[in-house]
Amino acid sequence: MTQLTTIIRKSSEKSVLTGAIPVLFWLVFIGNLIFSLFHFPNMPEWKWGDLFKFNGFSALLWTTVSFFGGVITTYASSYFKDSGQRSKFMLLCLGFTVAVMLFLVSEHIVLLMFSWLLMGAVMSNLIGLDSRWGEAREAKRFARQYFVIGSVFLTIGLILLASYNHTITLSGVINGIGKTPDHIVVISALCIIIAALIQSAIFPFHKWLLSSMTAPTPASALMHAGFVNGSGIILTMLATVIVASHTMDVLFIIGGLTAILAQFTKLIQTNVKQRLACSTIAQMGFMIMQCGLGFFNAAIAHLILHGFYKAYLFLSSGEEIERLNPKQPPIIKIKWLEALIVLLFSLLGAFIFARLTGKGMEWDSGIFLTLIASITVGQATYNIVKQKTFTGLQKLLVPPFLFVAGIGAYALFYNGVSVFMTGMEIVSVPSPVTPLQITFGVVFLAGFFLMKLGVYRQIPWLYVKLMNMSQPFKKTILTYKTKTQ
Amino acid sequence: MNPTNINILVEKAADHIGSTWPLYSFVTSNPLSGYEKSPFPEAVQRAKEVLGTSVYPKASIYKKALENGDINAAVLQNLLHKHGYKKLPEHYLTLMESQQTVEDVNQHSDLDRTMVKWLSAFMDEGLAEWEMPFKSSGFYSAWRKLVPYDELLGKIETNDIPKTSQEALTLLSNGLSEKQILEIFTQHLAALPGWVGYIKLRNQNKTAWQKQYPIDLQQYLAVRLWTAKQLGLELISQGNKTQPDPEMAELQYLWLKAWEKSWQLELVHTLGNTPKEIELKEKKTTAPDAQLVFCIDTRSELIRRHVESKGFYETFGYAGFFGIAMDYENAQNGITQKSCPPILDSSYTVKEVAQANKEVEKQKLDRKNEVSQFWNYFLKRMKNMLPSTFGFVEGSGFYYGLHLMARTISPASLYRFSSNKKTSHESVCDPQLQSAQNTNDLNVSIAEQAAIVKSGFDLMGWQNFAPLVVFVGHGSHSANNPFGSSLDCGACAASPGRHNARMLATMANNTEVRKLLATQFDIKIPEATVFLGAEHNTTTDEIELFDKHIPSSHQKLLDNLKSNLEKAQITATQERLGALGNSVSMAQVNASNWGETRPEWGLAKNASFVIAPRKTTQHIDLDGRCFLHSYDWKSDTDGTALEAIMQGPMVVTQWINNHYYFSTVDNEKFGAGTKTTHNITGKFGVVQGNGGDLQTGLPWESLYNADNQPYHSPLRLTVVIQAPKERVNAILSKHEGLRSLVANEWIYLIIMDPEKGKSINWLDQQVLEIKEEEQFINGFLKKNLKEELTIA
Ligand SMILES: [Zn+2]
Repeated sequence: MTQLTTIIRKSSEKSVLTGAIPVLFWLVFIGNLIFSLFHFPNMPEWKWGDLFKFNGFSALLWTTVSFFGGVITTYASSYFKDSGQRSKFMLLCLGFTVAVMLFLVSEHIVLLMFSWLLMGAVMSNLIGLDSRWGEAREAKRFARQYFVIGSVFLTIGLILLASYNHTITLSGVINGIGKTPDHIVVISALCIIIAALIQSAIFPFHKWLLSSMTAPTPASALMHAGFVNGSGIILTMLATVIVASHTMDVLFIIGGLTAILAQFTKLIQTNVKQRLACSTIAQMGFMIMQCGLGFFNAAIAHLILHGFYKAYLFLSSGEEIERLNPKQPPIIKIKWLEALIVLLFSLLGAFIFARLTGKGMEWDSGIFLTLIASITVGQATYNIVKQKTFTGLQKLLVPPFLFVAGIGAYALFYNGVSVFMTGMEIVSVPSPVTPLQITFGVVFLAGFFLMKLGVYRQIPWLYVKLMNMSQPFKKTILTYKTKTQ
Repeated sequence: MNPTNINILVEKAADHIGSTWPLYSFVTSNPLSGYEKSPFPEAVQRAKEVLGTSVYPKASIYKKALENGDINAAVLQNLLHKHGYKKLPEHYLTLMESQQTVEDVNQHSDLDRTMVKWLSAFMDEGLAEWEMPFKSSGFYSAWRKLVPYDELLGKIETNDIPKTSQEALTLLSNGLSEKQILEIFTQHLAALPGWVGYIKLRNQNKTAWQKQYPIDLQQYLAVRLWTAKQLGLELISQGNKTQPDPEMAELQYLWLKAWEKSWQLELVHTLGNTPKEIELKEKKTTAPDAQLVFCIDTRSELIRRHVESKGFYETFGYAGFFGIAMDYENAQNGITQKSCPPILDSSYTVKEVAQANKEVEKQKLDRKNEVSQFWNYFLKRMKNMLPSTFGFVEGSGFYYGLHLMARTISPASLYRFSSNKKTSHESVCDPQLQSAQNTNDLNVSIAEQAAIVKSGFDLMGWQNFAPLVVFVGHGSHSANNPFGSSLDCGACAASPGRHNARMLATMANNTEVRKLLATQFDIKIPEATVFLGAEHNTTTDEIELFDKHIPSSHQKLLDNLKSNLEKAQITATQERLGALGNSVSMAQVNASNWGETRPEWGLAKNASFVIAPRKTTQHIDLDGRCFLHSYDWKSDTDGTALEAIMQGPMVVTQWINNHYYFSTVDNEKFGAGTKTTHNITGKFGVVQGNGGDLQTGLPWESLYNADNQPYHSPLRLTVVIQAPKERVNAILSKHEGLRSLVANEWIYLIIMDPEKGKSINWLDQQVLEIKEEEQFINGFLKKNLKEELTIA
């Protein structure tokens, strides 16, 4: 790491070099895009000995990550007015992207572990970009601990499997799963899951993300659009291990609980970036839940789409200054006719969603995802029907327009992702609906109604609990004072 | 100690803390306004002790200023010598370099953090969907009811805590001397000056949030001290204070003075060298094609030069609220905001009323606003609710991706597209002046309106009227900028000045007002004169005219003016951005790029306020360092106009100047640090990183070019007034506040006495002639020059 810093320091003088980085990103992005479009839908698969492999999945994520790199470094080139900070940021951003790209094509498990660690190392350096700032150094140290522990777990998980199978490649590990004893598979799977949960800041490993705002805004965008997605990617790459170990329910429950809890926590946040962080934790929870339901392709689609969404919100997080007047939350009442329209459109939304994505066409875990899409449509319809500006006809036309556009774009994306992933061992494994899933579905719906009816507002202790739970690590706030001597 | 005494002590302690303004109306005020009654060097020394800040520029900054000649070496040496510092300046520079800021562990971090947690929850202005419970019962009561659930404080029951903050403070201060209590209060208020400053401001301005959710300093102190007790902390912290080094402070102060004096010499020299009055007078026998009135803002100086050079135009400088003490009701969201200097109470409210025959358009516009407000609400709802947030992200993610792309690749064309497309309120509405005080009768009498119009012409020393008279307010355009309002008009309480400009034009066009002006005050506005409002976009230097009411007779003049303003925009942006081609589109990128942390420099570099007719400053490049107010001492026979200028605009410029000064010398504590790690809190402010104290001033990007290289030279304001000395003296002796500003060196005052033909630096009790010193310096410089030549 010290070597990296010296390189960074040396080249910080050469701002010309760093000025070229955004251009480099855009070139890589365009190259990847052309490559992918050219080969679509029959993505080629290449291997370089035991070291690298490149397939549709890598092409998809290379394109995505270079896009984020391009957007974020272009943004950063005008954002940083201090040239030292700018150069340092650009190089770390480059380093991070290289680490992700390496990770995506690693076939050798040492490479895989190394690139995973490198991602964490670079990200913690972005969190502590301003090394003169005491709290930033604390935040960096704090995050780095998490990332190192995550890497240790990943290493244990992979080494266990590899050493049993006498292999050193990822495909060797995956192919050997059938012959590996259950207890090894389960232990490995749990280690891998812990590594994944740490990276995605899932409860109870969420604290590092809430303490990472010492990172400059574009670094946060990179973190929330790129870094935290590591879990979805590693779980997809090692889906065979997860499925074989029967640990999907663990993912489903932890992901689902995180999704609900983090979403409630988000409601009380008074700082923009912490609010976005809570939202990311919730979205990551949902992504993990999708993995738990067996839809790894849905998880990948989700992480890319969420990346667009969250990068946008971070990069525009300066827009939240606004003069408002105090206002009481609206009282919610719905008329029979309106309820009927909402129900009708929800069903229609569910139908379109199921038809276009294929999820929920059978009585399996996909139902769950269709249900969420359907409720979303219902909520959108409800909000539009309840307001006064639109005419009756508009109220009937706007919701279908919106949900067709939304579901259509999603389905296009989801199906596209699935095509890129063809050839992987596991793309999706819908499981039969279990009582556990039904129970949890009920919990989810209960959460939804609690929120909808605003009941939570009547529970002061919950407010304080959530507030304390979402405080950043204490050493990253007001630990130091500067003093003039 | 009884409650009244406690109140007095709290007030007294609070004087050490400045006010924190919300970022949606970022008023650049003096963070040390509570110290203004003391002389500057004493005041800053005290502030340094209480707040632990730096109060003078760093040695490295002085060094650079000396190297590039901003500090005149002769002036500096002279000044040092006079105070007994006989060695070379370099020696003292090394001495000053030993002053460093060091990082220290915060002894009260747990307490500070707990306070920040509760304060940000309570003071939130609508960012959180779920607001803190019991908020409307006030900060102290809400905290009292919630704190039992806060396991971080250990076991505590609501009933263990006194019912009111008064009781709590009385209990806590039991057995302590008045001096001790004052010290405790001061220390605990100074621990989080940003948040405390915002509590102060909410109380001063009685904001809507304050009325609904009351918080005051007593409540803050009661919660804080009670928490401290609960955490087992000593209320009063001893030691850890650095001993003040008087010699160091004096050196720093002298260097500052030398820098300021160097600038004053340069300024007086330039102003003295303007073409003689007679030459200019001969030129101007006829009225110009158009007259444009700009704000006194330093950014007007540049654009005025460029406008004047494009045609036969006359420009004026006038406070950008155009003399109307008004609030403006925003037609887009119905929220009323102040639109005049914060030192004035608003007497009027201005609303948008549909023009004749434009009711339908107005309704359409209103509906459009309603719809767009609905979409904002809709998005918030979808993002917040379970489980729609997950479905929403998946359905909209692709569109966010497209938007991400568009904003990255071509912000400027998006900007041009959206500014072309919008039909604005300006095109379908007229502003209407209503009384803010009298609730029964909202109408404002013609006499009152005429008085507003008249005072403008009086203050500027107006002579004759051109066929087109344009009042140009100003506003800044930037994207994704929490500090956007800091770039708007300071005289309009950090709002854009367009509505004030339109309002004044509307009143001046009113035939009844004109009739009254002619009959009562002998101000004869020709019938052919048309007034219009406009706005100078300070990011792109575009001047947008609100000209819907212009008669066809003036069309040609107007078209001419428009094309000349376009030319002025090109040359002005070229000068400002230091670019030859494409300067306008470069400026448009600055206005629209969401990654741009420095869309424009705002008022950086401000150093002087010149109160004089335009001819004194015309044809001089003042490099955007001066506020310019038009004033003609000859037409202001009794000095009332000057008095008004000194009481109003001069004080506002002093606020701005002091704000820039302190934000530059200690950017972390008086400013806002770098924008790159800002985190918006509660819709009104920013904190750094994960949280902490509320940031109070301007960000680093608005003040610094690079590390340790301020773009803004931290100098105190030099006010230059062209008027007879006796007149200025009379005003100063009448107003204690103004006199103390000058006497305590918060500003400098230089009088260019037209009757005596020389410039005088005004000091309390004595008057110092500047010209003499100038001769001495020039002599020195010449000698120096010779020496250099011989060496070469
Ligand atoms: Zn102004």
